[in-house]
Amino acid sequence: MTRHHPDSLSLMEYSAGNLSEPHALCIRLHLDKCPHCRSRVDTLDSLGAVMMEEQPKVSVSESMFDDILARISTEPASEPVTPSLPKVGVLQKLLGEDLNSLPWKRQLGDVSVLDISEKFPDQKEQVVLQKLAAGGKAPAHTHRGEETTIVLQGAFADQKGVFNQWDFVVLTDQDEHKPVAVGCEDCITLSVLSAPVKLTGTFTRFLNPFLR
Amino acid sequence: MTTLEQKPAKAEGRKDPWSQLLDKVGKHQDREAYHALFEHFGPQIKYYAMANGLASHAEELVQEVFVSIWRRSCLYDWRKAAASTWIFTIARNQRIDMLRKMQRTSAEMQVETEDLWQIPGENENEPVTSLHRLMSERRIRDSLKHLPEEQITVIAKVYMENKSHQMVADELDIPLGTVKSRVRLALNKLKVILQDQNV
Repeated sequence: MTRHHPDSLSLMEYSAGNLSEPHALCIRLHLDKCPHCRSRVDTLDSLGAVMMEEQPKVSVSESMFDDILARISTEPASEPVTPSLPKVGVLQKLLGEDLNSLPWKRQLGDVSVLDISEKFPDQKEQVVLQKLAAGGKAPAHTHRGEETTIVLQGAFADQKGVFNQWDFVVLTDQDEHKPVAVGCEDCITLSVLSAPVKLTGTFTRFLNPFLR
Repeated sequence: MTTLEQKPAKAEGRKDPWSQLLDKVGKHQDREAYHALFEHFGPQIKYYAMANGLASHAEELVQEVFVSIWRRSCLYDWRKAAASTWIFTIARNQRIDMLRKMQRTSAEMQVETEDLWQIPGENENEPVTSLHRLMSERRIRDSLKHLPEEQITVIAKVYMENKSHQMVADELDIPLGTVKSRVRLALNKLKVILQDQNV
């Protein structure tokens, strides 16, 4: 059961279609598992529909409807849409079946990372997977800019609470945290970073594990 | 006269006219209904495309949206979304898709637009009941009339002009915090958001 949801402003930007692809991915992954937020987005989509209705209308060319009819009569439906067809989830599409067997790069002690930014070639954010070994601790760090995170597996805890699978959290430069993986599984998170992470405290002498 | 006869009529009555038409397209490939939807939503979508920086591709977007409506209409369920909401999300997705294809530098897109942006009713066992969604739509339409202009302006820029809250702030030359609080006030009044957390 997810406890930490995206705020309504982010959901609105999602509904309006204004988020970058990595940010939309974080929201989408949460929505797939959270009926409560799906219902909020449905309502926001209705707001979008009402806004569209309230705007001016621009007449379309007279021949267009015939063009459309011609297209739907001649073109075979390129992808026949059947509701029963099991869809491959976006996560699986991007990362394959098993998150644990990805080419993780071991960093400080309990932390492994994998930069997957190249999967979003036209986006400017950095997209990273982070893995904290079960029971492990990450060094204290703050965030320059904003970091949006969704938990893909396991759970972590910091001073703000426990974050379980599919929980959603946004951290800013105001938040210094020292996450600990809780439970018996490694904790894997997906994070979208608008700017690099800054280490604080005694671990600063190590290379920043979140960036390589 | 009898309850048996009233029941289906009542259920039908919950459908707004556009949802009824879309339902006909989905169930019977009804081209007259399809044409009526085109007459109503085509000009809205064209404006939407133009406001979103697709002025030179506006008609192309309208076409793509309607071809997509035709192909997907068999999946439309009026109990899960009003036609206008459903069509808005298709227009949004097609707009995103078109911009992605125009802007991309790499050959392959690993993630499809619809892997990221969903259409209402895609998830099974949706807890939203038809009554709930119908009420929320009516409520939005009614409450929108009572919102201060400055709040409507902000929402319109976000939805119609593809602008982030930050871009709206820059354009109106007001702090980001002001934009966010206007949006929050509006969403509260529209009862889009009852409680953000602890639900």
